[in-house]
Amino acid sequence: MNHDEKHQKPKTPTITLRKFTLSDVDAFMSWAADPRVTRFQRRDPYSDPADALAYITTHILPHPWYRAICIDNTPVGSISVKPAPGEDRHRASIGYRLAYDYWGKGIATEALKLTIKAAFEELDHLERLEAIADVDNPASQRVLEKAGFKEEGILRKYVRLKGETRDMVMFSFLVSDAV
Amino acid sequence: MDEQTTVLNRSRQPLTVTLREFELTDVDDYFVWASDDRVSPWWRWDIFTNKEDVLTFMEETVLPHPWMRAICLDGRPVGAISVTRRTAEHQCRAELGYVIASQYWGRGITTEAVKLVLGTIFGDMEGLERLEALVLVQNVGSQKVLEKAGFTKEGILKKYLIHKGKISDMVMYSFIPSEN
Repeated sequence: MNHDEKHQKPKTPTITLRKFTLSDVDAFMSWAADPRVTRFQRRDPYSDPADALAYITTHILPHPWYRAICIDNTPVGSISVKPAPGEDRHRASIGYRLAYDYWGKGIATEALKLTIKAAFEELDHLERLEAIADVDNPASQRVLEKAGFKEEGILRKYVRLKGETRDMVMFSFLVSDAV
Repeated sequence: MDEQTTVLNRSRQPLTVTLREFELTDVDDYFVWASDDRVSPWWRWDIFTNKEDVLTFMEETVLPHPWMRAICLDGRPVGAISVTRRTAEHQCRAELGYVIASQYWGRGITTEAVKLVLGTIFGDMEGLERLEALVLVQNVGSQKVLEKAGFTKEGILKKYLIHKGKISDMVMYSFIPSEN
């Protein structure tokens, strides 16, 4: 039996990262309006593109590092790097969201790898990237591990999410870890 | 009601550990640990060298703090303990911090102060479910305090905080009343 033929995974499509523009609002809605995607986010799904436009304008465009995950220049998700508050500018946290139809293809992992490289190149003094994933979100935990993040521990009752208090798995990627 | 418990002094006579709010008149006692060069290395703040600066610090940071107490031994402040919510969105968690003058180290006083906080903070702070503490990996004394007080070690967060100009690994501890 030729294992390569039988078990070969479909190739991950080529993805690129770029800044958002206001004309991306419809693409943005493809994940931001989907409760399957927002399940582990603090915010509820958008129903009105006007709200999405406001979010792009007030939050995404001025953000220190926020990118669209694109296939053929069309956004299918987003990824952001947020520096820690106060004096700890060496530390930043990553968040990402992907339209449901694009799950399971290695896209988030690839976006993370591109982001890790870009973040350490572009953000001065950055030494620690971190990400937290809900204990009930094993898909996201696997994505982080595949991208090279290391699990550091489970932080119990760490965040409030839609009226519940959740346990979160903490991951980190240090500047000293090879990509 | 004053929170209190009893520890023994060196000659095995009972002393009482209590917590109370700070007043500006505590500045002389505050200066003792704030200027202590055995204490300062473990804290992010720089050592204080004069009382005027301590007074300013008490006015600007200590007195307005949402939850900060003097750790008192037989009624006299020997240290400070605080519980701080660091994010507005996650009211479920708050960070514990404490400091005690070095001449009182090793006598179980800090552990008792932490236990007193555990007995009151979850009633005082609505919505609090997690009390956490971050300790330098090399601060074994502080790790023992938390472990004796019943905290759980959750992991080591690498290169987490800048401490005295150096990026440092921190041990994360937490106390969850429904679990610990």
